[in-house]
Amino acid sequence: MAQVSFICKRTVVSTKPVQPGKYSSLSVLDRVMERNHLLVVLYYRSKRGREVGGITKKLRESLSETLTSFPVATGRLLKDPKEHWMIKCNDAGVRMVEARAKGSVEEWLRNVDREQELKLVHWEEMFHKPYYWSTFYVQLTEFEEGGLAIGLSCTHLVVDPTCVTMFIKAWADTTLGGKMVSPPLFHPLPPRRPGNMTIGHKPYTPLINHYKSFIENPPPLAVALQRHSTATLTFTDQMVKSCMDMVKALTPFEALAALFWVCISNVKAKKNGSGLTNMSICSDMRKVLGLDKGFFGNCMVYNKVHMELGVQENDHQLIKAAMAIKEVVGEMDNEGIMDLIEWLEHNDNYQYSPPLMNGRDDLICINLEGVESYMAMFEDGYKPIRASYYIEPTVGEGQVIILPSPAGEGVLSRVVMVTLLEDEVVKLCKDALLMHFSPTILMGVK
Amino acid sequence: MAQILPPFTSSVKLKYVKLGYQYLVNHILTFLLIPIMLGTALEILRLGPVEILNVLKSLRFDLVQILCSSFLIIFVATVYFMSKPRCIYLVDYSCYKAPITCRVPFATFMEHSRLNLKDNPKSVDFQMRILERSGLGEETCLPPAIHYIPPSPTMEAARGEAEDVIFGVIDSLLQKTNLKPKDIDILIVNCSLFSPTPSLSAMVVNKYKLRSNIKSYNLSGMGCSAGLISIDLARDLLQVHPNSNAVVVSTEIITPNYYQGKERAMLLPNCLFRMGGAAMLLSNKRRERRRAKYRLVHVVRTHKGCDDKAYRCVYEEEDPQGKVGINLSKDLMVIAADALKSNITTIGPLVLPASEQLLFLFTLIGRKIFNPKWKPYIPDFKQAFEHFCIHAGGRAVIDELQKNLQLSAEHVEASRMALHRFGNTSSSSLWYELSYIEAKGRMKKGDRVWQIAFGSGFKCNSAVWKCNRSIKAPTDGPWQDCIDRYPVHIPEIVKL
Repeated sequence: MAQVSFICKRTVVSTKPVQPGKYSSLSVLDRVMERNHLLVVLYYRSKRGREVGGITKKLRESLSETLTSFPVATGRLLKDPKEHWMIKCNDAGVRMVEARAKGSVEEWLRNVDREQELKLVHWEEMFHKPYYWSTFYVQLTEFEEGGLAIGLSCTHLVVDPTCVTMFIKAWADTTLGGKMVSPPLFHPLPPRRPGNMTIGHKPYTPLINHYKSFIENPPPLAVALQRHSTATLTFTDQMVKSCMDMVKALTPFEALAALFWVCISNVKAKKNGSGLTNMSICSDMRKVLGLDKGFFGNCMVYNKVHMELGVQENDHQLIKAAMAIKEVVGEMDNEGIMDLIEWLEHNDNYQYSPPLMNGRDDLICINLEGVESYMAMFEDGYKPIRASYYIEPTVGEGQVIILPSPAGEGVLSRVVMVTLLEDEVVKLCKDALLMHFSPTILMGVK
Repeated sequence: MAQILPPFTSSVKLKYVKLGYQYLVNHILTFLLIPIMLGTALEILRLGPVEILNVLKSLRFDLVQILCSSFLIIFVATVYFMSKPRCIYLVDYSCYKAPITCRVPFATFMEHSRLNLKDNPKSVDFQMRILERSGLGEETCLPPAIHYIPPSPTMEAARGEAEDVIFGVIDSLLQKTNLKPKDIDILIVNCSLFSPTPSLSAMVVNKYKLRSNIKSYNLSGMGCSAGLISIDLARDLLQVHPNSNAVVVSTEIITPNYYQGKERAMLLPNCLFRMGGAAMLLSNKRRERRRAKYRLVHVVRTHKGCDDKAYRCVYEEEDPQGKVGINLSKDLMVIAADALKSNITTIGPLVLPASEQLLFLFTLIGRKIFNPKWKPYIPDFKQAFEHFCIHAGGRAVIDELQKNLQLSAEHVEASRMALHRFGNTSSSSLWYELSYIEAKGRMKKGDRVWQIAFGSGFKCNSAVWKCNRSIKAPTDGPWQDCIDRYPVHIPEIVKL
């Protein structure tokens, strides 16, 4: 089994000093994600015969240069006079860990599981005094026989998966050619569009209620973590298309989310009873809010999917599930999200017990179809061979993350990362309905 | 009468009196010579050519007498020219520019301090207070080994830093001066706190494949003033060896000396010392006169080691936990002022114009004989020098010297800005300051520069240079990319 050995930890700072006295405030969507953190792992092949250690140095230098454009990443968390989190851009830098692994990257990917993969990412829980706590951690692991793994972890307070991927892409662009193709945009969330102020407009209550329930009943700060496991499956272009046709879905997310909802419910039903589990979806709202994809900050919104109870045949169940998801996605339009944002701005006094948005008895399905992780090329001609995303901590019923596939696999092909209790993952990988779409298991349970 | 006049008018009148006096005394010879020459010329004109020839014939010179006197004149002239010390030229110099990825912003320094000294918040607060008032900027650099959490000051890392700095700076010097390594006759390397075997000078000889009959020296343990000690050594060697080139490398290797304990007096160097180095090419070759930047005029060394307090004021020792660090005593400033006074007393007569020396002499006599209560006259060194390079040991040192020597803000600007941009780079700081003056385009032919360095021991060394040719800005050097941002206003306390 491949082993990861730690070499050193240091701080990487930007190449140009930040002007003193700069602060960046966090939006309501940022602050509601305080208790979560993101973990991203990207795998790359490397040129034959390249000396181990060279690429680490090069990436460290290009990271320094990239950080000059992300003063928010090198800043530190501080509470503002209203006791809300904000970032002081004090130029402190990000932490970087360097490591080595035995074997080659391809060998690693054949045998990896969740526990091993998480060794490629470094994360530290928030200190008691967060002013000295780095919000970003980067780990560079070079494989002795070829290959590189870049692990990035960051607090969800500052970023969401879309903008963290954009940060990685900016870093890759800087390493390759020196110029950032899409620079980040730092600004607050947009206000309601003037044309949308209809008189007598009823706010989108179900979404607001969803958030309200999390804010009013937060789980305790020290949540007992059960032993979870993660499986990564990939569906071919054709299979996704056939699934979409079967459930009359508009997007691969709707189809796959419905599929996994039904399959996971089946797996859990064998334990808990029948019917579909509770489910929420989480989606990126940049397009809905009219924001550029370079917008740096949180823009992911969670919403509950409503479904009537009742035991039905698998096929009908699937179609109904897809319809319910489609309905919820349709309801999350500009007005609805603005309603939520406005409500949150008036109801955000949860400083001492912040909510945990993925922390109850819901299965969460996260739509990361749009993240462009496979476009992050650090060396000419070497695109990532795999990208793994984790939104931690995983509590509640489980998590399903729908990700894009590497280029060349087809427009509709998707990679899905499922995190459930260990035995549930094993059963899921043998589920008949799921096997009907012949997924390839990239990472399973040992 | 003086009380009726408003104060500024009286001081203006005084200024003109002073100027007149200075002009008179400094050019006294000219003033005396002119009437004599006028008198002689008038006399010659009065006598007429025929009379002059008669006077000469009456002297009755013999051939032997003429030959003997001319041989005597030639002999005296030869002895005079042979015994004149050789002119030492500073052909050029280069300063080390650390890679920008080694930058240490204040926030990072404080965080690392907090993470490494988890159990000693008082020590961390002390470091923070020092850093706030230090006068350093956000672009000073520490070597890579110190960026690790915890720092890993291995010997390998120290050698790595030494190679990066010394080779970097010598490569730059060779390129600037078109010097071939085989033409280096004398090599002096000074680095106070890192002294491996084989020495750093041997490391240079190995890397550049220098000649086997090279005269190489490695000075260690001599503190921040070692740079001028090396210049002094080079000068002495160049007096003995005709037609030679000497390369002097001054640096301080930070890696092995990063104090890892919690004693406050020993944490101070961690806050101030930063990566840096400089290499100088000195020569006594006649043909270097054309392109040399400076000529070395004086080097004055003062050693106060005979006084116990001065000897122990910068002392390397183990703290109660066994960690080695440099202990700076509280009377450092007092001792430094005293050493400076000693040095000034020696250098004053060498460089001050006659007017200042007379004034000093008069007040000295006056104090001794007439009235001891007279204020001692502090000679105005601004008359002797156009530029000052004060070792950027810390803000306090520069403030103290500015006060003692009555210098204006512009005179100490080079020192303050070098401290801000590069930190305390120990023996090489003087060269960063000189580079600043050049980069600002202030160095003109004939300008005199005074470099003052303080170091453990306690030593105060001075060097006086005269600019040989006007140096045009923009120059290449460590200030190349940032000179336009300077001078910056450095606040008393930077809020962290």
